[in-house]
Amino acid sequence: MENLPIIILASVFVAAFLAPALHRVLGDRCGLVLSLVPLAGAWVYAEMVPRIMAGQPFVYRHAWVPSLGISLDFRIDGLSLLFLLLISVIGVFVTWYAAGYLAGKKDLGRFYLYLFGFMGSMLGVVSADHLVLLFVFWELTSISSYLLIGYYHNEAKSRAAALQALLVTGAGGLCLLAGVILLGRMAGTFLISELLAMDAAALVAQPGFTTVLILILLGAFTKSAQFPFHFWLPNAMTAPAPVSAYLHSATMVKAGVFLLARLFPLLSASPLWFPIVAPVGAVTMITGVVMALGQNDLKKILAYTTVGVLGTLTMLLGIGTELAVKAAMAYLLAHAIYKAALFMTSGTIDHETGVRDPDLLGGLRRAMPFTAAAALVGGLSMAGVPLLLGFVSKEYFYKALLDAQGAGVLWEVLGVGASVVMVAAAITAGIKPFWGKLLPTPKHAHEAPWTMWLGPVLLGVAGIKTGLFPSYAGAGLVGPAAAAVLGDGGFVADLKLWHGWTTALGLSAVTVLLGLGLYALLPRIRAARGIFGGLARLGPEHGYDNLLSGLLAFARWQTSVLQNGYLRNYILTVVMFTVVLVGWMLPGVVPSPDWDTMVRPHVLTVTVCLLIMAGAIFACLTSSRFTAILALGVVGVGIAMLYFMFSAPDLAMTQVLVETLTLVLFVLAFYRLPVFGNYSKKSVKIRDAILAAVFGTVMAMVVLVEQSSRAADNAVSRFMGENSLALANGRNVVNVILVDFRALDTLGEITVLAIAALGVFAMLRLRPGRGGKEDR
Amino acid sequence: MNSIILATVSRLLTGLLLVFSVFLLLRGHNLPGGGFSGGLVAASAFVLASFASGFPAARRLLVVPPRVIMGFGLVVALVAGLAGNVAGYPFLTGLWDTTLFPVVGKLGTPLFFDVGVYFAVLGVTTLIVFSLGEDSEEED
Repeated sequence: MENLPIIILASVFVAAFLAPALHRVLGDRCGLVLSLVPLAGAWVYAEMVPRIMAGQPFVYRHAWVPSLGISLDFRIDGLSLLFLLLISVIGVFVTWYAAGYLAGKKDLGRFYLYLFGFMGSMLGVVSADHLVLLFVFWELTSISSYLLIGYYHNEAKSRAAALQALLVTGAGGLCLLAGVILLGRMAGTFLISELLAMDAAALVAQPGFTTVLILILLGAFTKSAQFPFHFWLPNAMTAPAPVSAYLHSATMVKAGVFLLARLFPLLSASPLWFPIVAPVGAVTMITGVVMALGQNDLKKILAYTTVGVLGTLTMLLGIGTELAVKAAMAYLLAHAIYKAALFMTSGTIDHETGVRDPDLLGGLRRAMPFTAAAALVGGLSMAGVPLLLGFVSKEYFYKALLDAQGAGVLWEVLGVGASVVMVAAAITAGIKPFWGKLLPTPKHAHEAPWTMWLGPVLLGVAGIKTGLFPSYAGAGLVGPAAAAVLGDGGFVADLKLWHGWTTALGLSAVTVLLGLGLYALLPRIRAARGIFGGLARLGPEHGYDNLLSGLLAFARWQTSVLQNGYLRNYILTVVMFTVVLVGWMLPGVVPSPDWDTMVRPHVLTVTVCLLIMAGAIFACLTSSRFTAILALGVVGVGIAMLYFMFSAPDLAMTQVLVETLTLVLFVLAFYRLPVFGNYSKKSVKIRDAILAAVFGTVMAMVVLVEQSSRAADNAVSRFMGENSLALANGRNVVNVILVDFRALDTLGEITVLAIAALGVFAMLRLRPGRGGKEDR
Repeated sequence: MNSIILATVSRLLTGLLLVFSVFLLLRGHNLPGGGFSGGLVAASAFVLASFASGFPAARRLLVVPPRVIMGFGLVVALVAGLAGNVAGYPFLTGLWDTTLFPVVGKLGTPLFFDVGVYFAVLGVTTLIVFSLGEDSEEED
């Protein structure tokens, strides 16, 4: 049972694919059964804590694509473990939550398929030790996130948001892939553990490292919604609440931060690390919280503060001191716990009352006491009130800022400013809806089913427990995580609740007071919402829209030029390019034909050739479509005979069969074709005739070249001939090539054939206007 | 097309063609033939049947919808390829049994791969022909 973490990873994917069937059998209860998988995962990962604390990472290796040096390498250290626990524990809660939130939806099974697919990919990202493997899981999270954001797929807004998230993170993913490959080639290894053990300074000094750094940062920044790519995250709030709670607060958006942390020892050695990462993080932090001020939608407020927190984490990693890294890990843990709870409670409010505007909500605590309690704890933790983990992490955040170099007092000003807004947002999202006077809501409010409040309540308990006794979380999770990030085995971090009367404590107190003041001013700020709308319009999302519409216009233009639907134009293009590309290489290599040594052709061969030529010419000149088809048939059968004469019976047989079936298809389509007319002008005909003649000449020359070079170098066909029986137990070399030597090509070909057939089927049988007839 | 001659002949020929297609498939590794040409012959058997007695009858003769046959073929080919992985070799490595069987000769995963190709080609061809044919009939 050594490989339990890997078994868990695999079973999450298995659970994903079983989910639709399970939903058919169990209905809404399938979520509870499915949640056993992440629950088991949480258990397994928790059991690993002592071992990781002792500095013994879990390692698993399995060959995957040995020819490319890609293997399934997993390595779980402190950083991985922190994420694994967050993903599995919050995964359990979200699975429960979705069972209540989406109860009765008929595609709940599909939802769980996506959700568990995402969960598995995320577990994969954080435990991968191979750069390519990490990238594969990374892309899987993008795709599953696309499907989850677009879950309400019949709403245009949902689809647009899903597409936007996919395009932004997908573009970043491509940058990451390029960066990862460059880095792997530069270092000579794709194993992350080996990379981090190398001499970072030497690697960083290599030419081209700046490119690697920027590409990898682009991948991380798009994923973690850093400015100027932050806009997709608030838009992704069109997703159902469980998705927002899971992907857009606790896990996926932190993948970018994870990547920065994972490669921290290497990338932070670059002199560009601090000047890029810290400012980007700071700008994101400020953008997020400023935009959060103007929102009147609980989910949007939480989304923008999430952007702010992601900025904070990036900024801390950018600062990169021991204290900052430790603060980042503590902040990450605290944020995941309170934000997941708040996303779920605000989803519950929306679900039970139909309202998401905090101004229209109040006094719900009597109607939904458990949800109110969970939201209260989450809100207080977010505000950084003592005895909760949010307070502890904010203390470390301030300590790290006080300790940071490079921008003087600006760090503290920015940090406190952002935290003040967090306090106001926390009150708005966690406290305001439940306290004060009961406001009437469209739906009569009552407590949600236990599936929807148990998770947030347990998260609240976790927040209190870790807040009161932070040293457990410090030594067990945050410390090993920070040690893994810093690449320093001996570093032990501890979290303390009480540090004495420090500057950080003073800043915390000031933050809460200013936050309360800001909260009082919020209605007035929101009244000026127009300004925020204007800000958003000026922002980078505008650039995204322009880029996208420009790209689409370009695609339309080039499609209308290249894919204009006329078969003759396609053939013209293909032939022309072949003539040009092959033709310009020919001069000089074409041997003059040696007439004397050439074998005199058999009279039968000549006859067949003449027959083919006659058929081709006749097909061009005839004015009846039917005769043209028959004439082409003559050409095809003639070619088959040539194959046969030159001892290629396999080719001949296939050619005859294909000719026959083509004829059948022609006959079937015959009556649907327009009247056979004379459409082309004379000049076009002359052009085509010239091109055809040139093409024929070029092909003849290619044959000559091929013939003359064949004697010298026929290594490939000799290999095939000699090894067909020895290696593949077959005497028919053609077939051995198809099913053994080049079987991958064949597999690709039959797949393409199948796709083409489905395309024909879809166009003919599924097109609109057929009145939804039964299709088989 | 209601020709008695065609209908009578096709009843005989369809069976013969199918037997021939299997023959081609099995001998393919050592003699001319193989999954691709075998699949095409099998498809032409059903195309012939459809011409003689109509598309619904041809579909009944095929029993399973063409799409399913096509998918089945792809899966068989994929599984035959994955057998290599299970045995610890790269994907699509041929595995052979050394005993000689009558007609087929040695058995190996490439033969199963070829069976996959056979069904994929059969499914693809009949799917296209049936779609096109039934579509033109409906329009008439």
